[in-house]
Amino acid sequence: MRRRSLLKGLGITALGASASSFPLPGLIRRAHAADTVKIGCLFSSSGTMANIEGRLNYVAQMAAEEINAAGGVLGKTVEVVVTDPGSDWPLYAQLGRQLIAQDEVASLFGCWTSVSRKSVLPVVEQNNALLYYPLHFEGEENSENVVYLNSPPSSSVLPAVEYLMSEEGGAAKRFFMLGSDYVWPRTINQQLKGYWTDKGFDPSAWREEYVPVGHSNFQTLVNEIRSFADQPGGQPIVVLTVVGNSIPDFFREFVNQGIAAFDVPVLGLDAVEADFEGLDTTELVGHLNCWAYLQNAPGPRNQEFLANWAAYVGANDVPFRPDVAIDPMVSTYDGVHLWAMAAEKAGSFDVPAVREASAGLSFACPSGYEIAMTMENTYVKRGVFIGSLNEAQGYDILWQSEGTPEPVPFSPYMNS
Amino acid sequence: MARRFAAILSLLCLLVPGGAAALDRAAILTEICSGDFRAQQTALESLAGAGAEAGREGALWARAVVQGFEGRDLRCGADAAFIDRSDGLVSAETLEPASPGGDLSAPSVNLRLRATAASAGFVLALFTEESAEARLRAAGRLDRRREAVSAAVLTAALETETDPAVAQAIGDIRTSLLLRDADPARRAEAIAAIAADATLRNRTTIAEALANEPDPAVQAAGKAALAEIDRTLAIGNALATLYSGASYASVLVLAALGLAIIFGLMGVINLAQGELIMVGAYATWFTQEAIRIVLPAALDWYLFIAIPVSFAAAALVGIAIEATVIRRLYDRPLMTLLATWAISLLLINAVRVGIGTQNLEFHQPGYVSGGFPVVGDFIMTSNRLFAIAIAAAAFFAVLALIRFTTLGMNMRAVTQNRAMAGAAGVDTRQTDRLAFGLGSGLAGLAGLALSPLYNVNPTMGTGFIVDSFMVVVLGGVGSLAGAVVAAFGIGQINVAIEPVYGAVAAKVIVLLLVILFIQRRPEGLFAPKGRR
Repeated sequence: MRRRSLLKGLGITALGASASSFPLPGLIRRAHAADTVKIGCLFSSSGTMANIEGRLNYVAQMAAEEINAAGGVLGKTVEVVVTDPGSDWPLYAQLGRQLIAQDEVASLFGCWTSVSRKSVLPVVEQNNALLYYPLHFEGEENSENVVYLNSPPSSSVLPAVEYLMSEEGGAAKRFFMLGSDYVWPRTINQQLKGYWTDKGFDPSAWREEYVPVGHSNFQTLVNEIRSFADQPGGQPIVVLTVVGNSIPDFFREFVNQGIAAFDVPVLGLDAVEADFEGLDTTELVGHLNCWAYLQNAPGPRNQEFLANWAAYVGANDVPFRPDVAIDPMVSTYDGVHLWAMAAEKAGSFDVPAVREASAGLSFACPSGYEIAMTMENTYVKRGVFIGSLNEAQGYDILWQSEGTPEPVPFSPYMNS
Repeated sequence: MARRFAAILSLLCLLVPGGAAALDRAAILTEICSGDFRAQQTALESLAGAGAEAGREGALWARAVVQGFEGRDLRCGADAAFIDRSDGLVSAETLEPASPGGDLSAPSVNLRLRATAASAGFVLALFTEESAEARLRAAGRLDRRREAVSAAVLTAALETETDPAVAQAIGDIRTSLLLRDADPARRAEAIAAIAADATLRNRTTIAEALANEPDPAVQAAGKAALAEIDRTLAIGNALATLYSGASYASVLVLAALGLAIIFGLMGVINLAQGELIMVGAYATWFTQEAIRIVLPAALDWYLFIAIPVSFAAAALVGIAIEATVIRRLYDRPLMTLLATWAISLLLINAVRVGIGTQNLEFHQPGYVSGGFPVVGDFIMTSNRLFAIAIAAAAFFAVLALIRFTTLGMNMRAVTQNRAMAGAAGVDTRQTDRLAFGLGSGLAGLAGLALSPLYNVNPTMGTGFIVDSFMVVVLGGVGSLAGAVVAAFGIGQINVAIEPVYGAVAAKVIVLLLVILFIQRRPEGLFAPKGRR
């Protein structure tokens, strides 16, 4: 009930927008040095997304430092301009425009929720700029001004749901979809319904519920999930697409009503290690998520990345935990490196040249996969992990893909 | 293959009465370590039968292995398995300390295996737990997972069971297993045993059994049982709705009580009220951390120890705000609005810079975690009960304070007529300050009571401010009882609408209702009697 905000919607947000943009470094004009190149960050440090989005600002700076330590890009030092859109979707567009026009950034790194990306999209398209977007998302979009660093549903959500429907994954037969009310959950659920219809499921096998963004009182909905689970028809699962601080709130209520993961497993599509920082996860062991990176990913590249992050947090007094790394952090990190490689290859910071040079680039991602930009669009081929929550607020790897599947921007299940 | 055969054989032994063959420990461990999903499943199932097969000693061993597997402490080597304990590795076969050579790996635990392991754990608890209470709890858990247990194992457990209540519970589970028995009388008994616990899950089980029940007498008994369950479920659901509404109302009351004094009695529009809630929650967290260091034994009671701390912390911040800013703005309400908004941003950003944006981790003692079933499917969650209790206590304490103390009398006097109260000798400055401190302290208390329910982070307060104003205005400015009635009204209407039209529509409808109500009755539910 945090956002019953008529008053807020009318007056306070307007105030908040102007007030929260006050301390932005983005507004402080810096001396324009000839030997630096700027990149812009559009990640919120306030509002409902702050706890998870905030760390992406720092990881972008960490990647820039790595690049600078190795001599910069085309002989120039990379400078990161940070803004705070305050989890206020229209503000992402406004600050994005400002970064392009005033700060003349070479590329943008930003957005967590799809609604914020949709808000920035016209800005980058009008200005022919480049936005690196680090989240797995609903697909159904293929703009040449956005580099989709993370996977569309075909290479993230669908493999995970398929696993849960297999004998080993618990043979799920019934599905409770619970999401925040905006474009990502609704599109994902639309595709899932198409997918299940294709697999021969009857519409009575699923239920779909939405809550406002920032919703925190899940009593009634968890009650409904319990009664959905107790009805006949086979193993139920919850496909959770709520975002931000609603995730820990949901899980707290879920545990308190005494539902175990093996009775009703929850596939939290936006759930990351960081969401469980304030929770005791011993009763939550076994809940699932699916991402292109998990902190427990094997391999030396991951160890190196984790050590670098811990060192960066320590050295720069970053207000986030040094021992937690989440997929969007790694994706942002990959993005900064991919951009630097593309600019280096193109010999220029011009967006068309960088885009041209991007095709086919590959990078050794901390996930252990050699990720590659596709040739025909601006998607990136990533690996798939299914994680199982453990006692220590982390995710154990339950399953991971053999290689990096080809991303499919437009789902065949969308309109079936 | 031979080992697999041995495991299947040992399973068969379970079904033969008196088959007291020793468990083939090595074979079972090899299966668990095989990485083959089906073999692991079979091995776990045979471990569940260890109590029936190899007595208490066998059950103790099996339980150690199952727990090691579930907790991912089991380590598989090339030809032996080990359990990783805090004080070093032990052999999984003998549970004696051991030092392995070669590489060790932990077998992966997927959802299916976790469920099988958990069921096996409950079965084995019946054989190994010392306390009758723990065995009873295990039987309760097992009652929800009947498909994972066999009548033979339960019979074996009954043979060694000494406690009558536990024996009764185990006997009931065994009776429930007879739902598909050839004898109609036993099927009817099974239905009665299952129906004794009226949950939707049990209703589904009975209804599915009745669908192909040939015997008319059993049919009739089943129908009657279903009708009885339906009645209980309806009562449970009604109570669950009431409880959800009450708990939501308690959150609103907690958030609004301080504001009811500051805005309601003093007429100050304090937009920093939400941040005072945040201050209270952070004070609670600091208390917890202090107790963790100074007095770890009392950690479970930190929420009670923090009551005065959170109240005082928020009250001090409130008094400081009053003394420095609001005091100068009593006759300029619009300025107060802007100034308190600025203070709220200041507090949020101070905390963000000083402590960070992450959610704070709170220890959850038993009285604020989990819940207990009451009737049907209604589970009373403890953290919300705690919030309801604090809200009720705070409300009555404030009511008493305003009605029976000198400070309360002064506050009422100043509210009704500031000049007259001053002329009668009331120190209005002092009263303002204390009233503001009281209102702020109540917000701090709200922060404490909400910390087991919500995420505690710098921006947690912003969500409460709109709700609080709505409750205070709807209840009638200046009326504490009005605020409580308004909170209950909004809470109940909200939870009544939510299951029907969804959470998004519920908010819209509640807001529309509030607007309509305020238009018809601008003074709110309870109009204050005094002159303002």
